Amino acid sequence: MINKKLHSLLVIVLLFAIWEFAFHLFDLKWYLLPPPSMIFVSISNNAFLLFLSLLTTLKIAILALGLSVIISSSFAIIFYFSKFIEKSMTPITVILQVTPIIAIAPLISIWVDDSEVATLICAFLVAFFPLLANTIAGLKSTEKNHLELVRLYGASKIQILRYVVIPNASPYFLSGLKISSGLALIGAIVGEFVIGPISGHSGLAYRIIESGYQLDIPKMFGAVFLISLSGIILFNIVRLISYLVLRKWHSSYQQID
Amino acid sequence: MGLRILSEQERQKKIDDKYSAIIAQLNGVSKKFISSNAPSLEDINLEVYQEDFLSILGSSGCGKTTLLKMMCGLIKPTSGKINWPTSNFQNSVENPANLSFVFQEPNLLPWMNVYDNIKLPLKIYKENSYKADEEIYDIINLVGLKGFEEYYPRQLSGGMSMRVSIARALVTQPKVLLMDEPFSALDETRRFDLSQEILKIKKQKKLTVIYVTHSIYESVFLSNRIYVMQSNPGKVFEEFDFSNQEKLENYRFTPQFFEQTKIVSDSLKRAQNDQ
Repeated sequence: MINKKLHSLLVIVLLFAIWEFAFHLFDLKWYLLPPPSMIFVSISNNAFLLFLSLLTTLKIAILALGLSVIISSSFAIIFYFSKFIEKSMTPITVILQVTPIIAIAPLISIWVDDSEVATLICAFLVAFFPLLANTIAGLKSTEKNHLELVRLYGASKIQILRYVVIPNASPYFLSGLKISSGLALIGAIVGEFVIGPISGHSGLAYRIIESGYQLDIPKMFGAVFLISLSGIILFNIVRLISYLVLRKWHSSYQQID
Repeated sequence: MGLRILSEQERQKKIDDKYSAIIAQLNGVSKKFISSNAPSLEDINLEVYQEDFLSILGSSGCGKTTLLKMMCGLIKPTSGKINWPTSNFQNSVENPANLSFVFQEPNLLPWMNVYDNIKLPLKIYKENSYKADEEIYDIINLVGLKGFEEYYPRQLSGGMSMRVSIARALVTQPKVLLMDEPFSALDETRRFDLSQEILKIKKQKKLTVIYVTHSIYESVFLSNRIYVMQSNPGKVFEEFDFSNQEKLENYRFTPQFFEQTKIVSDSLKRAQNDQ
């Protein structure tokens, strides 16, 4: 396991080395493609500014993710119990899902004064649907035999949910969460691009726009680099949760000796 | 006196004689599925007496499982009556403690370990006492699962999983155990071992067992009464009773066992030809 991690880290280091080497070898323009060394110097020069922006963007993404977890699970459970509500809500959810967030974002910025809240709504709207769809699929995939088993003992609806339906849906929910964690970040960035700098301290998307104005290409790369980093952080948090919940029983964590 | 088919009069006489010992009685029970092509059942009449080991024997697709699920209220009959005179159970799961079901597959919840799987029925009844805990360990010892409490279903073999399933059925201290081809997925040796254990547990706990199977050997080996079913539509073809017969040591290898197997086997063949 440690070997594997070391291996993938080595690949990244090698990639950076080639990049750096190619920059000097072919004498590339630093304002088109700065070498990694220059990017890291820029990051450390702007460390405070970029770090605060990173926190802002991460905060929006995590809040959006948290909101979508709460709202999509409650929706999924309501849909699970009522076919009627599910049928009547499905068109709305589909319309919202297929309309690109970049098309809705200007509207949201008109309706909502606070740019932080507006960006949060953007990120939430993108992250919400995969999670909802996956959770519904998970709830519906409950085995008939398992349901019969608990019904035989006269389990209440709450007990059926607690002992059978929700644990059964958890792998689906968690794989939805993996998709949504990436999308929440995309929503947070796209939202800020369209809506404008987040009130308080602007996020990484605004740092990119700002560096564009200033023609500070290394800083721009630095911001992009930090966006990837926050994506990796989010994804790994979800992966850890998934591991903790499923490792004991789910076949995806089955150890093969 | 060997194994024999009961005539209608003999059956009626027996019902009169042993009326007080009737655990369950099915009167003209029929089931027709409208939307699915699951096998239908027609005019089923049968009685289950106290401490019977009753086998319902039939080929695949004759509605044995449906019959069993109707008896425990998971499926509602289209017409007819299912009575459990000793409990207030009537066509629905109202008094579930008296009755447990062992499914065709172990049907364990993969997200719970062995202990929690066995405890599940008690959790549903909201029994969380120290006494309940003790009972669970008694059952775990009884079915030979000691030391496996922390295992998850994916770590268990088929035979072990079935033991957990049986333990879960026994944990509520049921009076009646309904079993739906519980050992059909196991190999011969395991199947025999578990069959013997079931007989032992039945004796110890004074259980009434209703056992659905397609195996002639299993039904003859285990039961004192056998209902042979025919299919399309599923109904009772013949009824056998050898309650008053002593089963010898090593019964499985006695001429008596083979003779009875042949009789039941002939009956099943006739049931299939008679469709």
